[in-house]
Amino acid sequence: MIKAAVEPWVEEPLGKFVKDAGVRLALLLLPSGQVMAQYGFTRALDVMSACALAAAIFASSGEMGKLLQGKSFSALHAGGNPQFFLAEAQTARGPYIFLTVFDQESSLGLVRVFYDEFKARLAAAAPPPVSQEPVLASNFEGELNRNLAFLFGRA
Amino acid sequence: MSSPFTKVLDTMTRLRGVSACLVVVAEDGISVDSNLQFGQDGGRVAALAASLYRKARQSALAAGLGATGFLQLEADEGRLCMLGGPELILVVVADSDANVGLIRVEMRRAAEQLQ
Repeated sequence: MIKAAVEPWVEEPLGKFVKDAGVRLALLLLPSGQVMAQYGFTRALDVMSACALAAAIFASSGEMGKLLQGKSFSALHAGGNPQFFLAEAQTARGPYIFLTVFDQESSLGLVRVFYDEFKARLAAAAPPPVSQEPVLASNFEGELNRNLAFLFGRA
Repeated sequence: MSSPFTKVLDTMTRLRGVSACLVVVAEDGISVDSNLQFGQDGGRVAALAASLYRKARQSALAAGLGATGFLQLEADEGRLCMLGGPELILVVVADSDANVGLIRVEMRRAAEQLQ
C-alpha cells in the first residue's frame, strides 16, 4: 500500500493540491532531502532519487539567487513536457521543499494558483515545532529509509 | 506603462458591463497583460479560464467539430467570455446585463490583432 504522507497533517493539503491542480507527481521533502509526503510515485527508489535531486537543485539555485539578486529564488519552473515546479513552503515546523510534475492536463498558471493555497493550508495545518535532532550523516540514511518504508508499506 | 496589448484591453474594458479583460498565454494559463478592477484576482481568473478554454478546445476536437471559437460561461452574477488561438486567449469578465453581442464582435476584432 502506498501512503501519501509520513505525518498525517500533510495529507489533506497535499491531496487537495493534487486534485485541484491536476498534477502527475507531487513531493514534499525537508531541505535535507528526507521525504515527508508523496503522490504518484510507485517506487521508493524514484522517491529517493527525486528527493535527493530536488534538495540539491533547490540548494544550488538558492545560492545562485543570492548571488544574482541577494536572496533565494522563491520558485523554479522547467518547461517542456512534462514540466516541473519546485518551491519552498514555510511552516511553523520549518521550511519544506515542494516538487510537482505536470503535463498538458494542468498548466503553470494552475500550479501557481493552487500552490499558493497549498502553502497556506500547510502552514495552517502544521503542528507546533518540536525539538528536532540535527540531521547528521550518521542518522540521515536511517531516517530516510524509515520514511520511505512508511510510505511504501514496509514499516 | 503600456504593452502591445494595452489598446485591445482598453477597448474591451470601455464596453458597458465589462469589469475585466485579460490576455492569457493559452498553454501556461498566465496573464500577459490585463485590465482589472480592485480586488479581482487576475492570476486565478487567467489560470482557470485558460484551463477551461483548453479543455473546450480538446472536447471540440474529440467530437470532430474542429477549432473552438467563442466560448461563453454564464454564472449567477455575470459571464466569462473567451476567444483565442493556440498561443493567446482573450478573456473578458462581464456583468449579466452586458451586451454579449457587442462583446463578441469586439473580441473577434481584438483577437485578430492578438495572433
